[in-house]
Amino acid sequence: MADSEEQLTRELQRELEQELERPLDDAELRRIKELVRAQIEKELHAKSRAAKEKPQEAEEYFVRFSMNFCLQHLVLAIGVILLTITGLPIKFHDSAWAEFIFRHIWSLEVNRIIHRVGASLLMLVSVWHIGWLMTHAGRRELRELLPRVKDFWDFIAHVKFMLGLSPERPKFGRYSYSEKFEYWALVWGTAVMVISGLMLWFHRIALAYFPKYIFDVALQAHSGEALLAILALVTWHMYHAHFNPDVFPMNMTIFTGKISKKRMMEEHPLEYEQLIALSPPAPLPSEGEGGGVRGVG
Amino acid sequence: MKKLFTARHLKMRAGGAKCAVALARGFGARLIVLSVIMVGLIPISWPGYSQRDPNARCLLECHANPGFKREVAPGQFRALFVDYEQFKASVHGEKLCVDCHTDVTVIPHQRRPEQIHCLQCHYQGNVVGAPVSERPEKYKESVHGKAFERGDPNAPDCKNCHTVHSVRAHTDPLSPVYRVNIPKTCASCHVEIYTDYLEGVHGQALRNNVLESAVCSDCHREHDLFPPDDPRSSLHPQNVANTCARCHTDVSIMERRGVPVKQVEAFKKSFHGIAIEFGILKSAHCISCHEYHKILSSRDPRSPIHPLNLAQTCGQCHPNASSNVARGRFHIIPSDPDAGIVFWVYEFYRWLIIVMTSFFVLYIVLDLYGRWRHARRRPHG
Ligand code: HEC
Ligand code: HEC
Ligand code: HEC
Ligand code: HEC
Ligand code: HEC
Ligand code: HEC
Ligand code: HEC
Ligand code: HEC
Repeated sequence: MADSEEQLTRELQRELEQELERPLDDAELRRIKELVRAQIEKELHAKSRAAKEKPQEAEEYFVRFSMNFCLQHLVLAIGVILLTITGLPIKFHDSAWAEFIFRHIWSLEVNRIIHRVGASLLMLVSVWHIGWLMTHAGRRELRELLPRVKDFWDFIAHVKFMLGLSPERPKFGRYSYSEKFEYWALVWGTAVMVISGLMLWFHRIALAYFPKYIFDVALQAHSGEALLAILALVTWHMYHAHFNPDVFPMNMTIFTGKISKKRMMEEHPLEYEQLIALSPPAPLPSEGEGGGVRGVG
Repeated sequence: MKKLFTARHLKMRAGGAKCAVALARGFGARLIVLSVIMVGLIPISWPGYSQRDPNARCLLECHANPGFKREVAPGQFRALFVDYEQFKASVHGEKLCVDCHTDVTVIPHQRRPEQIHCLQCHYQGNVVGAPVSERPEKYKESVHGKAFERGDPNAPDCKNCHTVHSVRAHTDPLSPVYRVNIPKTCASCHVEIYTDYLEGVHGQALRNNVLESAVCSDCHREHDLFPPDDPRSSLHPQNVANTCARCHTDVSIMERRGVPVKQVEAFKKSFHGIAIEFGILKSAHCISCHEYHKILSSRDPRSPIHPLNLAQTCGQCHPNASSNVARGRFHIIPSDPDAGIVFWVYEFYRWLIIVMTSFFVLYIVLDLYGRWRHARRRPHG
């Protein structure tokens, strides 16, 4: 900066001297220096302000999920975390870490209570979700979530794209095949876990009706499905929601309900096009005024 | 205490010096041999020992006489006879009488020798080489030792299980602690249990000379024997499975007897087993379902695990249990094809997990690869 300041000062000095055809006196030189410094400071200031304001310009977003939907996910997430941290030590009760947990952190009795609290949250959210699916908004989501043939071709196309066999990423609608897959896996998993879990929870009653081997089947299904779900969560879900370079470190959409226009266009282009076609041309957000909002309904 | 092996001890032999003893009367009185009237002077030969035997002095003067006894109360006598043949055959046969009766320095001794105890040698770290592998010292903390300390006249001391002067190794079929004899030894005080035990599979097998079968001390331990509610007990709810496991996981024993070996492992994997292991003691362990002394095969209609009785057995803790519980095998290991449908469910999930997880990982790797290719192709995109 000092360099450019000096350089500019010298240039100005030379120009003026040529114009006036005499050397400048000290007072004039000082004046030039001051002016140059003021100018440079002004420019810098403007630059940094521009840098600050830039992301705000891009922050145009869409409402992807309703509050209701976000809350469902939140309760589900808490339930699943509770179930996981208390379920794993039971499944791996032989291991040293499970032993450590049960002997030093919480007892099996407490573990059982937490597990049942988690199970209650999971069942609560299932009932809530089913009720919500009956509402107008819920039915529309369900229609969007139904698997279609296109999802299969999307998957093939996506794999081709990853391998570099095709230049274009397939265009997804409101829910991509991977999201639909995760949703239906969750529905199936929850059904298995709830049915088998209730049987073990209320074995006192169930023992009156079912032979012993049904409990063994339930226990195997419960522990197998649980492990599958946990592995799916730590690979598939963690990748799509956290470690994916697009969203790293965390995709907040499911908590805030908002998705940026950029990601909307990239990840759900069909939905985006639909929305743009449907909605009256909204006034473009003017610069510096923060983001505009587009409803998804 | 009615000695079980008295017949052997009291075996009479002819010959020998007769001691007519005059004994100090009354409890606690020091035994003073006032006069020893020798009826026959030292005979030429002594059955069981020679005169050069270092113990001869003790024997020839008194203790080899089967009738040698002391009156502890009017009309009550205490035998002081030592069967020297038995003694020579015992594990301590090389010992001198005075090795154990250390306060006897002159023979005949002038006063009653001190009461001595086996533990004066059989303690951890003793220098005389007395074996302690079975940890006899633990006896002092055991139910029996505690009862003995309290002065319970029925409580066993070492001698009740081992005898005093004819102690034999547990490998010796004549020993009261030889496997086959142990139940009888305990039975001298625990008779009803002995009869129950004899009806059970373990007792039956032992009677048929199956030495691997469980005897009292396999389950209860011999010296560190505690009541089951003591956590140190081998039969504390948390230890029962391991106690049975000593034999019931041993293929070499069980295969020969045609008994399956996977019950213990299956139990430990079951919710009952996990609950017990981590302190929910009201859960079921082996003996909640199998009984203990009268353990019977599931084929026996008297057995609590006979299909017809199972509802009642589970019903102790699960009041709604119906005869339905008897359908299907009980101790199953899911990864074992014998488990039937449970095995198939297990396999289904195993493969599903392997396939799906590989798919997820592969997909992620592919996706990252795709992104990387893309980023390289369009560095500023
Ligand atoms: C291995 C050690 C040992 C040896 C060797 C041994 N004894 Fe003893 N003896 C004992 C013990 C222990 C007792 C105490 C038993 C009891 O608690 O009543 C005992 C008790 C006795 C008693 C009964 C005392 C009473 O008050 O009832 C006599 C008599 C006796 N011994 C004689 C002998 C003679 C004779 C020999 C040598 C042939 C001998 N003992 C060698 C350990 C031994
Ligand atoms: C003088 C110390 C001493 C006393 C007292 C003593 N023992 Fe021993 N005991 C020994 C020694 C030494 C051996 C090892 C003998 C050998 O191996 O030759 C032994 C061996 C044994 C064995 C055989 C162990 C084996 O593994 O083979 C038994 C059983 C036994 N003693 C029981 C008793 C009983 C019961 C008493 C009390 C009546 C008792 N002992 C008192 C020193 C003693
Ligand atoms: C309730 C009965 C009982 C009492 C009381 C008892 N024992 Fe034992 N003891 C046994 C049995 C049963 C065995 C055999 C263990 C086996 O089969 O391995 C045994 C084994 C032993 C052995 C090892 C024997 C061998 O051959 O290796 C020694 C030594 C022994 N006991 C010493 C003692 C001493 C010392 C005492 C007294 C403090 C005592 N015992 C009290 C039942 C008893
Ligand atoms: C001399 C008699 C005697 C002999 C022999 C004897 N016991 Fe005992 N046993 C007793 C007495 C007395 C008690 C009661 C102790 C008490 O009340 O605390 C007892 C208590 C017990 C207990 C605890 C019972 C309870 O209520 O928890 C067990 C288990 C036991 N004995 C097992 C055995 C075994 C196994 C043997 C054989 C190796 C054996 N006993 C040999 C006298 C004997
Ligand atoms: C298969 C293992 C096993 C064998 C063998 C066995 N017991 Fe037991 N015994 C047990 C169990 C288990 C208990 C009870 C534990 C409980 O109450 O939780 C028990 C309890 C006892 C009790 C306490 C009183 C009662 O009925 O609860 C005595 C005394 C006893 N046993 C003596 C014996 C004697 C004597 C023998 C040998 C004839 C013997 N046991 C053989 C496992 C066994
Ligand atoms: C010392 C070894 C030993 C111990 C300890 C032992 N068992 Fe056994 N058990 C055997 C043997 C050997 C047999 C086979 C008996 C026969 O041949 O019929 C058997 C048989 C059985 C059977 C019957 C199996 C059948 O199909 O007939 C049952 C049930 C059983 N044991 C349960 C138990 C339980 C429960 C315990 C623990 C409390 C236990 N056992 C402890 C050795 C043992
Ligand atoms: C001594 C008591 C007791 C007996 C006997 C008993 N159980 Fe249980 N059982 C329990 C306890 C305690 C739990 C755990 C209860 C809880 O978690 O609330 C349990 C849990 C269960 C469960 C559910 C947990 C699971 O994952 O398996 C089943 C099913 C069950 N028992 C079946 C049986 C059957 C079948 C029998 C008879 C063969 C039986 N139980 C005998 C105490 C017992
Ligand atoms: C909740 C009840 C329960 C518990 C706890 C339990 N069992 Fe069983 N066990 C059974 C039933 C019921 C059977 C009947 C056979 C079958 O269906 O597999 C059986 C069968 C057996 C058999 C085969 C004997 C036969 O006759 O078929 C053995 C051996 C056995 N159990 C040992 C054990 C041992 C060892 C433990 C402890 C580690 C144990 N069991 C714990 C209920 C139980």
